[in-house]
Amino acid sequence: MKSTTTLKSLVIPLALAAAGTAWAQSPNPLREAYFGETHQHTSWSFDAFIFGNTKTTPADSYKYAKGEAIPHPMGYPIKITTPLDWMGVTDHSEYVGVVQMANDPTSALAKTALGKKLVVHGPQDIQRIYLLLGNSMIDGKPFKELMQPDIAGTVWKRNNEMADAANEPGKFTAFCAYEWTSTPDNRNMHRNVFFKDCAKVPQMPFSSLESTKPTDLWAWMDKQRQAGMELVAISHNANLSDGHMFPIDVDESGRPIDAAWAASRDRNERLTEIKQIKGQSETHPLLSPNDEFANYEILNYLLGFPAGRWPTIPGSYVRQGLKDGITMQQARGFNPYKTGIVGGSDSHNTATPYRQTNFFGGHALNDGDIKERMSGHVFAGMDVRFENPAGLTGLWAEENTRASLFDAMWRKETFGTSGVRIKLRFFGGWQYTPAMLSGSEWVKTAYADGVPMGADLPPAKGKAPSFVVWAVKDPTSGNLDRIQIVKGWSQSGQSFEKVYDVVWAGERKRDPQTGKVPPIGSTVDIPNATYTNTIGSVELKTVWTDPDFDPSLDAFYYARVLEIPTPRWTTIQAKELGIAPPEVVPATVQERAWSSPIWFTPTGEARKAAKASPKVADLLKKGAVKLNDAQLRALLVGKSTWSQNNVTGDRFVVAWNANGQRQIKYVNPKVPQPALTGDVERNAYLGLSSAYEIKGGKVSVNIGGAPFETTIYKLGDKHYAARSNEFGYANYEMTPVPAQLGTEVQFNMHAK
Amino acid sequence: MSEPPDSVRAGRSRAGRWLREPLLHFLVAGLALFGIYRWINPAAFEAPATNRIVITPDDLRQMSLVWLAQGRPPPTPEQMANLVEAKVREEVLYREALALGLDQDDTIVKRRMAQKMDFLADDLAALAEPTPDELRTWFNANRDRFAQAPRASFRHLYFSPDRRHAQAAEAATQALDRLRTGHAGADGLAGLGDPFMFQGYYPDRSFDLVAKDFGAKFARALFAQTPGAWSGPIESGFGWHLVWIDELTPARIPPFDEVEPEVRRAWISDRRDEMKRVAYQAMRQRYRVVLPDAPAPEMKFPAPAGNVVAPEMKAPAPQMKLPALGGL
Repeated sequence: MKSTTTLKSLVIPLALAAAGTAWAQSPNPLREAYFGETHQHTSWSFDAFIFGNTKTTPADSYKYAKGEAIPHPMGYPIKITTPLDWMGVTDHSEYVGVVQMANDPTSALAKTALGKKLVVHGPQDIQRIYLLLGNSMIDGKPFKELMQPDIAGTVWKRNNEMADAANEPGKFTAFCAYEWTSTPDNRNMHRNVFFKDCAKVPQMPFSSLESTKPTDLWAWMDKQRQAGMELVAISHNANLSDGHMFPIDVDESGRPIDAAWAASRDRNERLTEIKQIKGQSETHPLLSPNDEFANYEILNYLLGFPAGRWPTIPGSYVRQGLKDGITMQQARGFNPYKTGIVGGSDSHNTATPYRQTNFFGGHALNDGDIKERMSGHVFAGMDVRFENPAGLTGLWAEENTRASLFDAMWRKETFGTSGVRIKLRFFGGWQYTPAMLSGSEWVKTAYADGVPMGADLPPAKGKAPSFVVWAVKDPTSGNLDRIQIVKGWSQSGQSFEKVYDVVWAGERKRDPQTGKVPPIGSTVDIPNATYTNTIGSVELKTVWTDPDFDPSLDAFYYARVLEIPTPRWTTIQAKELGIAPPEVVPATVQERAWSSPIWFTPTGEARKAAKASPKVADLLKKGAVKLNDAQLRALLVGKSTWSQNNVTGDRFVVAWNANGQRQIKYVNPKVPQPALTGDVERNAYLGLSSAYEIKGGKVSVNIGGAPFETTIYKLGDKHYAARSNEFGYANYEMTPVPAQLGTEVQFNMHAK
Repeated sequence: MSEPPDSVRAGRSRAGRWLREPLLHFLVAGLALFGIYRWINPAAFEAPATNRIVITPDDLRQMSLVWLAQGRPPPTPEQMANLVEAKVREEVLYREALALGLDQDDTIVKRRMAQKMDFLADDLAALAEPTPDELRTWFNANRDRFAQAPRASFRHLYFSPDRRHAQAAEAATQALDRLRTGHAGADGLAGLGDPFMFQGYYPDRSFDLVAKDFGAKFARALFAQTPGAWSGPIESGFGWHLVWIDELTPARIPPFDEVEPEVRRAWISDRRDEMKRVAYQAMRQRYRVVLPDAPAPEMKFPAPAGNVVAPEMKAPAPQMKLPALGGL
């Protein structure tokens, strides 16, 4: 007995000293990571019902989230791999109420004249509503009586009662939430809306029947907030938005994007879903050609698979949105895209698979059977093998309650994962030092001396900001490969990105040419669909200082953690069926996590030091002449023109073939390329060409489905060029053939 | 008030028992479903609809009420006329659509109506409230469903593969030997393990919480250890651990009073499922299903129990008009 006491007295100080986290069950001022779901459909969603999920309700969904097995729509039991800490069921609001009509004899509605009528004509009313819904959505003329609070409010109320019943403060949080399902022209503009408190929700949610415009949703949200309800919107599947999730000039309804638009979005839509069952929305290899991990769970698809169309890539990914946001901040004085990051499911099965080992699809009968899935079933135009397990959201909060978790969403102290439970902390400040990480109180120091993910860096206090980044693996998944910091910055209407490897597992050395850390390798045995944790780390942490910081430029930083390669679900299920893994998707994946960004905004004074090109308007004032089609043809067609990007100093040549094709040559990989120029390095090296067209005084090219136009101005004997996505700056200048192209050696032949 | 005589009480309790008899509930529910079904589906008993659309004063009141409920000033006569016209339009389109047979063979309509029937059963189930005795009896019969997982308060020493690579398990074993022989070193236990990323002490953790933090394998191993001694090494997803359990509460079935709200929810949920099942069976018995001689080769799903072949079960994917309505 005596020895026990001695041991206890020895151990307790050790326990208390353990790195920076207190007991999970009492509020922790240094915050815990709570993992949960922002995007879940049940049979109450109209489309889920069509897919064959006809029985299970939000109550079942909460059961599943807490660890109980529930039936898949096909009947077999499904159980979550690790129970969640919180969830909001987000059924489509569009059909809320239709279901209930005429079926609740106890409702107030049943006693009104309309209600009685509805009961009497029950089944036909459903038909009527469906016909009307279809017609009214096509016409854009919804019928008000279908949206009346008494009716729509009932299912909404029932949904909220189920959330209340499932909510157990401290153990499990259930949010009142729904999905606003705007899909104009097959473009996914959907948003999930979360309420802080189920006691403070509107009588009924705002649906896309009322308006398909996000601006109207935000206006409605503002109104709710004025009425004392706290709520936040989360956009999702930017990858299916056909370039409309992050517009830069006008929104999808043609409204100019101005300061008011930006403020409204920032006030209401504070988060975006970076990954879900239908692919990731972080970035695309065409937008991030130098990011070797961008080629991950790409899903190119438009809802409904409209004939003759393919989703536009620019405008459909979060990283580009963040870049355009800070460029708009620089060029126009407002940033509509200061969004935090979450992950989500979008499963229509009432339940969600988060892991490769547990993938049961997300669309009921369409992907619920292993053979159906692995046969590459074409579900409304989508080969279901491209689906993948759901993403997950981590919230850094003091405790597991609605108030604490909602506040975390509001301040964007959120991170998304590919479905695994990687814990990721990320802080930015001006006085962090690597030494701080050796202490046990580093989280406290990090909060005290800087800001967490989702926030703005405080005004500059040093030469360059430092970032504390820390990640611990999911104890049931692969070890960690590396942590990267993705930086975006803007200058003179152009935006740039760079991915820095900041801390990694093992003894790997940076590649001396590229500075990148080589791949970690793979332990995956593809035929047996297994891997081992003999490579990689359990925990990675470091303090990183931006080596390229410029205090005059807008910037953002976010952290990305990568796991070692593990088998993709298709590889696991191929093994189960005794077939070869399908080649349409990779055999392995590197699971990952993404933090919300931290932004840096220069002071007005500092901004003045930033070098900027003249704006088109300035050139015209000086007497520059815009070239017309004939002048453009004379200048370009059948010629090779040398140009310089005056922001980066990069020089390159374009061969304008008479057949309407052009090639760009001599793109310097050492120089960061401005956004939305495509994979120019690779194309230059391989000599690949792309089409151009001279029309309407513009040279037009297409990148990833979006048109980009260049206008050229002659001033004196000089030609300047402006690209349509660079906010009015004329950043390019035509030059004579340069004597040298390299930047590593300065050599002047004439001075010899 | 005086006590009622025994005979009355007996009669009451008999009646009470009878009233709480599930079979009666199902009969009543089945009848109600059937009645409502007949009521809402009167087409067979009525003359075909004429081309008259009747708007009653009640309808007008309802329209203006909805209008006002949206926080707008009262509708002008012109707005009112528009509301009426919208209603008329809806009715006209609806009747024309019916006349064209657009409601036929529409999976959406069929499924939605089926779902309405489910909701109806839900509502009926919700009308029934269990008595305290009934709930208690039911709890006693279903105690296992409310079993609580074992709980443990434990501390641990961590041996990190990041620091020790393949030697982490071996280091843990050596440390355990030293602990057991009392040679813990001058700096106590701190020198034995590596710094752990989270907590060193975990008070009163359920099996599920331990599994959440360390993985299920670790949780299973932890709960198999004997309290009051250092044991291990146990492997978690993070590496190797020596554990000391202060206190271990075995799995238990809580008393009724502790979990009454939970029991009530489960009772209602069960009742709802049962109601649906019985109501469906009652309805199902009125149908005869004709099967094809040989199953179609493209049948991908096994026929459900009973004699139903369900062509509806075939995935209704590509031809659906769903995307125009949003969704996914």
